[in-house]
Amino acid sequence: MVVVMQERATDEQVQRVIAQLVEMGFDVHRSTGALRTVIGAVGGNRVGDPRLLEVLEGVQEVLRITEPYKLASRTFKPENSVVTIGDVRIGGDEVVVMAGPCSAENEEQVEAAAVAVKRAGAKVLRGGAFKPRSSPYSFQGLGEEGLRLLRGAADRHNLKLVSEVMDISQLELIQRYSDILQVGARNMQNFTLLRELGHARTPVLLKRGISATIEEWLLSAEYILAGGNTNVMLCERGIRTFESYTRNTLDISAIPVVRKLSHLPILVDPSHGTGLRDKVAPMARAAVAAGADGLLIEVHHDPDHALSDGAQSLFPAQFDRLMAELRIIAPAIGRSICLEPVARRGWGV
Amino acid sequence: MSLDELRRKIDALDERIVELLNERAACALEIGHEKKLAGLEVYQPSREAEVLGHVQRINMGPLDDEAMKRLFERIIDEARRLERIADAAQQNESAE
Repeated sequence: MVVVMQERATDEQVQRVIAQLVEMGFDVHRSTGALRTVIGAVGGNRVGDPRLLEVLEGVQEVLRITEPYKLASRTFKPENSVVTIGDVRIGGDEVVVMAGPCSAENEEQVEAAAVAVKRAGAKVLRGGAFKPRSSPYSFQGLGEEGLRLLRGAADRHNLKLVSEVMDISQLELIQRYSDILQVGARNMQNFTLLRELGHARTPVLLKRGISATIEEWLLSAEYILAGGNTNVMLCERGIRTFESYTRNTLDISAIPVVRKLSHLPILVDPSHGTGLRDKVAPMARAAVAAGADGLLIEVHHDPDHALSDGAQSLFPAQFDRLMAELRIIAPAIGRSICLEPVARRGWGV
Repeated sequence: MSLDELRRKIDALDERIVELLNERAACALEIGHEKKLAGLEVYQPSREAEVLGHVQRINMGPLDDEAMKRLFERIIDEARRLERIADAAQQNESAE
């Protein structure tokens, strides 16, 4: 890190900073300027808190050069991480689409969604059994019955399953049914849950918190990685801004930023990102064009009667069309998307 | 003096500087050892200020005092690093 001293900082103040840095195990590179002194600190045992320096007298600012997350950082692992679940690889050349209803409601609805998303080329079925709703009076999910329905539909249609875990108490149960454990935006900084997921070996899809910076998000991923679970995927799902037209502001720029900072796969959820059905397809196209490794999209056979998030769920026909469009976009940036099932039906040939 | 001769002179001077720097570093290491035995801190700002004041006092130019101070700050920073490395190596040994 670099410690910039104030103009006219005294020698004693500079000495106190150096003493603190030496104490913290840093090698010091002083640079005494005509107006101010800049102190470079290299190495260090990383146990000291950099804020100890910021509060010393005469210090203008302390600039950190290295990222606070390590295992999640591209410096630590330069090549992209690929999460493999059976024959599905996330983070490789192929853009993987996960789609399905917001929550499992009944057998008919889950089956209809699985048929629709499989036909369009999705590889993973999404669906919630435990729903973190903003209001305690909204539909809370079917629980284990929902998981059973989702697993059955996924198996019948050769899809993998991603479902949300809200609490440590549900972890064991959901792991039994689901191939991927989703951590929702509201739980991104539930550090006890993250620690527990670190001890699991099931892949984790970590959504970005509603007002989390990218650094905080990567630090949350670090919790899971530090526990030994290396199968972590990130998912941008929109952040809260002053704009109220859309439900959240989908941060497309997070894709190239995360790809630069981290080796972890980055997915995008344009359904929660916008909250509006007609905005889902444009943002999904933008996400793939920007380099997302996958998408998480809500599809419902009858969105108008959905028990949750109907307004942001696509009709199956809209999802079909979107997938066809993505098949044109992905190759433009050297990616592929659901080649086999679609080619057989002669789309875009 | 020709350019070549001047460059040869610079090389010869550099050789002396390197030798002197290493001689100084070895001396700093010994001091570090003594400081450790006496239980003194690695970083002693008052002593560093003395050293910097001394080199500025004896400086005759053409380098100005500030330049001399910056050069010696760098030398001291590196000596402190050497002390830390030697100290860590010794701690490793005694740990084994």
